[in-house]
Amino acid sequence: MNKKIFLNETDIPREWYNIQADLPTPVPPPLHPGTGQPITPDMLAPIFPMNLIEQEISQERWIKIPHEVLEKLYMWRPSPLYRATNLEKFLDTPARIYYKNEGVSPPGSHKPNTAIPQVYYNKIFGIKRISTETGAGQWGSALSFACNQFDLEAKVYMVRVSYNQKPYRRVMMETWGAKCVPSPSPETSAGKKFFEENPEHPGSLGIAISEAVEDAVTSKDTRYALGSVLNHVLMHQTIIGLEAQKQMAMINKYPNVIIGCCGGGSNFPGLSFPYVRDKIYGRDLQVIACEPTSCPTMTKGPYVYDFGDTAKTTPLLPMHSLGSGFIPAGIHAGGLRYHGMAPLVSRCITDGLIEARAFNQLETFAAGLTWARTEGFIPAPETNHAIASVIEEAKRAKEEGKEKVILFNWSGHGIIDLAAYDAYLAGKLTDYEMPSEEIERLVCDLKRC
Amino acid sequence: MEIYCLQLGMLTKFDYCVSMNEGLPCRNLIGCWRDRTDVVAFLNKTLTEDELRKTFSGLPKSKIDRIVDIIKSLKKED
Repeated sequence: MNKKIFLNETDIPREWYNIQADLPTPVPPPLHPGTGQPITPDMLAPIFPMNLIEQEISQERWIKIPHEVLEKLYMWRPSPLYRATNLEKFLDTPARIYYKNEGVSPPGSHKPNTAIPQVYYNKIFGIKRISTETGAGQWGSALSFACNQFDLEAKVYMVRVSYNQKPYRRVMMETWGAKCVPSPSPETSAGKKFFEENPEHPGSLGIAISEAVEDAVTSKDTRYALGSVLNHVLMHQTIIGLEAQKQMAMINKYPNVIIGCCGGGSNFPGLSFPYVRDKIYGRDLQVIACEPTSCPTMTKGPYVYDFGDTAKTTPLLPMHSLGSGFIPAGIHAGGLRYHGMAPLVSRCITDGLIEARAFNQLETFAAGLTWARTEGFIPAPETNHAIASVIEEAKRAKEEGKEKVILFNWSGHGIIDLAAYDAYLAGKLTDYEMPSEEIERLVCDLKRC
Repeated sequence: MEIYCLQLGMLTKFDYCVSMNEGLPCRNLIGCWRDRTDVVAFLNKTLTEDELRKTFSGLPKSKIDRIVDIIKSLKKED
């Protein structure tokens, strides 16, 4: 029995898979909530090159991966498929657990699978410089790496609070030659108004997006890049699942369960979409997308202010409390049903091809620790959501006495997120009530009393 | 008191979460902090009805909505 299953470079997939060609019901273009009008390609043209916009709307099932892109992907691809034998033993489960290790890329996550092609398509479109924002730093570092590979400039607006707390991400970006600035910065109109109010303004992802987009729109030869949500981003990631299919075939296995963590949607569809295709055409298969309970986009819904409650006894209600069939006004039944999630993932949930599960923060860190202490690799905190689900499924297999084959995406390592593990190990993330004096202080701060 | 914020990939304090949106709370505040404190009561005590509406009414904008809005507003400025 092999612990690792390698695919030769010569067997790397030569095409990306576009699930739009196989979906039972097509995904309508997203509607702009302000105007109710579809968001059209020309609206995106100021920030994305046309060759990527064409991919975004393509209905072709297979899109050829350019040779120049493959040459860069060979640096770490095909990524190894592992069998998590130590975890299996620890759980004493009859389940067979396999995972794609996407932590082997130079930036340590799956993100360069799309950063590399996005930068390539920008380059052949004549673009010299790419701007983006980053919160956690995974995307910013992947884009910096990709721009370095194709000799393009990268400008990354990193939320200041993260810039200050996570210097190693910034160092990664700068090592690859990118310019990383704390946001809000004085370099854009969007950043300047906050920066001038307070040069130490902690920033937010919203401000950083505004800065990066403004940079792309107002600078010559510059475009913007996004690492999740968009159709072409998900398609670039399908190389993960396409490789996995070949590797699983090498050991004559086919998974019963596919698992991945899903924030905005990129690594999860990357592994799962080639398998979802099999499911569309009749394969019996369970596909699980995992998310945090704190932001239950797929399993529940966002928190909204309940206008109807005039008594104001419970003015804030989660949308899901209004019933699973509730669809708020202005939201069509297609892509935006699961707001904030990639429309293609949302469609697959609506069509019953994918199921969603939520895990709370503590159980995900506990799962990450179990993983690190059995399989050795320290996972990124996002990846821990998938591991929590894998453990749950492996335990279920034991209860049912079934030899299930579980395949999941180990989307990245957590070596640059050790502060989070440190806080967890020190008990700082455990659930405890906020002291009343702390609440009073915050009330006072907010009311400026 | 801190939580791990998946958006920022780092530990964040309650102070940041309640004020990061131009002085108003993060949209995910309730989900992230509900296990630690009665965050709904806290919000009702600290925010006006207008502020609550501004923060939580309707659906949060998706990334693409936000981007299209930014492009439109930049075009208007031109």
